[in-house]
Amino acid sequence: MANLTVKNLHVRVDDESEHKEILKGVNLSMNSGEIHAIMGPNGTGKSTLSETIMGNPRYTITEGDIILNGESLLGKPVDERARAGLFLGMQYPAEIMGVTNAEFMRSAINARRPEDNPISVRAFIKELDKNLEILDMNEKMAERYLNQGFSGGEKKRNEILQLLMIKPTFAILDEIDSGLDIDAMKVVAKGVNSMRSDDFGALIITHYERLLDYITPDVVHVMMGGKVVKSGNASLATKLEDEGYAGLRDELGLDVKLTDEE
Amino acid sequence: MKKQPFTTAADLKAFSQAHHETAAMTAIRMTALQQYLDLPLAEFPKINYRRWLLDEGQPFVANNTSVVAQQPITVNVDQQGTKPATIKLSAEAQATGVVVLDFFTAQAQYPELFAKYYMTLALPKSAHQLAAYHAASVNSGVFIYVPQNVKLTEPLTLNFQQDTTTGQTYVHHVLLVAGEDSDLTILESRQSDDEQVISGNIVEELILEQGAHVHFTAIDRIQTVAYLARRAYLMKNARLDWALGLMNDGDILSDFNTDLVGEGSHTEFKAVAIATGSQSQGVTTRITNYGQHTEGNILQHGVILSDATLIFNGIGHIVRGARDSDAQQENRVLMLSRTARGDANPILLIDENDVRAGHAASVGRVDQSQMYYLMSRGLSKDVAERLVIRGFLGSVLAEIPSAEARDALKRTIERKLIDGQKHRDSAE
Repeated sequence: MANLTVKNLHVRVDDESEHKEILKGVNLSMNSGEIHAIMGPNGTGKSTLSETIMGNPRYTITEGDIILNGESLLGKPVDERARAGLFLGMQYPAEIMGVTNAEFMRSAINARRPEDNPISVRAFIKELDKNLEILDMNEKMAERYLNQGFSGGEKKRNEILQLLMIKPTFAILDEIDSGLDIDAMKVVAKGVNSMRSDDFGALIITHYERLLDYITPDVVHVMMGGKVVKSGNASLATKLEDEGYAGLRDELGLDVKLTDEE
Repeated sequence: MKKQPFTTAADLKAFSQAHHETAAMTAIRMTALQQYLDLPLAEFPKINYRRWLLDEGQPFVANNTSVVAQQPITVNVDQQGTKPATIKLSAEAQATGVVVLDFFTAQAQYPELFAKYYMTLALPKSAHQLAAYHAASVNSGVFIYVPQNVKLTEPLTLNFQQDTTTGQTYVHHVLLVAGEDSDLTILESRQSDDEQVISGNIVEELILEQGAHVHFTAIDRIQTVAYLARRAYLMKNARLDWALGLMNDGDILSDFNTDLVGEGSHTEFKAVAIATGSQSQGVTTRITNYGQHTEGNILQHGVILSDATLIFNGIGHIVRGARDSDAQQENRVLMLSRTARGDANPILLIDENDVRAGHAASVGRVDQSQMYYLMSRGLSKDVAERLVIRGFLGSVLAEIPSAEARDALKRTIERKLIDGQKHRDSAE
């Protein structure tokens, strides 16, 4: 069983204009075989958390630790973290001209294999066809340039396709539901559910409860003001849907301003 | 270059006679020697090559200890150093009367073509000092003549390898004459070792007679210092498609020139370049529209690693009277390090009103969000970088019509990038 633990994580973002602490002591622990959801209002640091776990150099950790299977990830570059088993389904995937989707996914798979033992073309295509079918994607998608000219929904599907091909131990899915209609959301959920096993864990970051109707989480965390303020089972998500974040904030007596509040 | 004679008139004459040259060729050499002393250096915008050792070595004396490993010949023309070219023509080429000869043999057999085309039109020997040096001291080369109406289905493959161990300056000439309405493809490969700093002065002249159609693909892997000129002269309705891979490791002064002289002539020039280590590549690509209804397009993309320098000059010149002509160009450079130096320098010189002309140019760095995305899938920095670069060069590669040439170039790019990254990573 694999484990991913976030310990008292404080993170600052260094933009040209501001040096702002966004995460103020996040604690989180998950095992493979589990699906966790992080919910929270806008601007509360959910994406910062996912990018920091993955190792985006834009974010600076000022305190705390991220531990994968007992080993700290701090100081490890993003590619090393990926090969160690992490995957981040991004909100805004980059577009790369001249590199086909298939070529990219093969390189990603081979990056996890010994140099003298790349995946065979036949095995790769078989796996690709299977996963394209799960995600109801046209096989032409594989030959298009990576995310180049993809619609928002196609990009999200393509992130899940990569997830299915790469088979990480832990996947963090950052607002993978944003901008998706209900049919596309069902397809994305089907893809994630097809990964469910004792060797796979997912951390699903979402704004709305709706995605969780299709991917049932084992644990739901609520983030506000740069911290996890409450954790519970799937019913916590339903409660939030009914009462809103303001209700939970007031119940917990937190002094947090919600950005959508005027 | 040193402004002193690299040889005496007597030595020059002796070399010419020892090679049983025609009297005409001896005269050309003698005139060129004087021109070399009188002419200025060639000027290329933003490229300062005055300190390059472009005349290192001795053009007329080879040290005979040379040990060049003979490769198995799978090409039509193979020329090791300044030794006579080994020529094996295909049955198709032989049957259609295609002529391929070593430079010294050819001048006696085709004196009229030499008189007409050898350093007269595509690169006149009086153009500048480098051209005059070449005409005076040429010591190897080949001549190719494809007769009128001959359409070759198989490419002519040429392999040229400079051998620096001889200590001999490599002054190599290719004269290609494509007869009226002929059609052919050239796949050229140029290489050198890097045992010694011995310079090269290479001139290739392509003469396309009326209606001739030539695909010219070359992959350059020169490791020494060289002046490399590819100069073309197009007559009426001729068409020339260039596809060049500038994968050199040495300091190379590239001079690519196409003169669209005949009405309706057309050239498409495409090049990719990679500069690594501490080398400099200065590339000047010029197309001049002289004739009416002529079209010339330049597309060149280059990548720079480490401390290397890469300059792309794109010059589109439409002269007065070249009505209804078209000159477009795109020059792009991608820099992968803070210490790389690069420039994409488009120059349009338009002396006629009834034309279409345009340019695009950029010098940029690798997009960090692209790198992050690729690396977040487990690709190492080097592999991610190579994918981004391949994408950047891909738009040029995709336009190369021959799949064989395209694949050969892709392999060379991959190898050059891996070597360049290794060099950089070990320096870090």
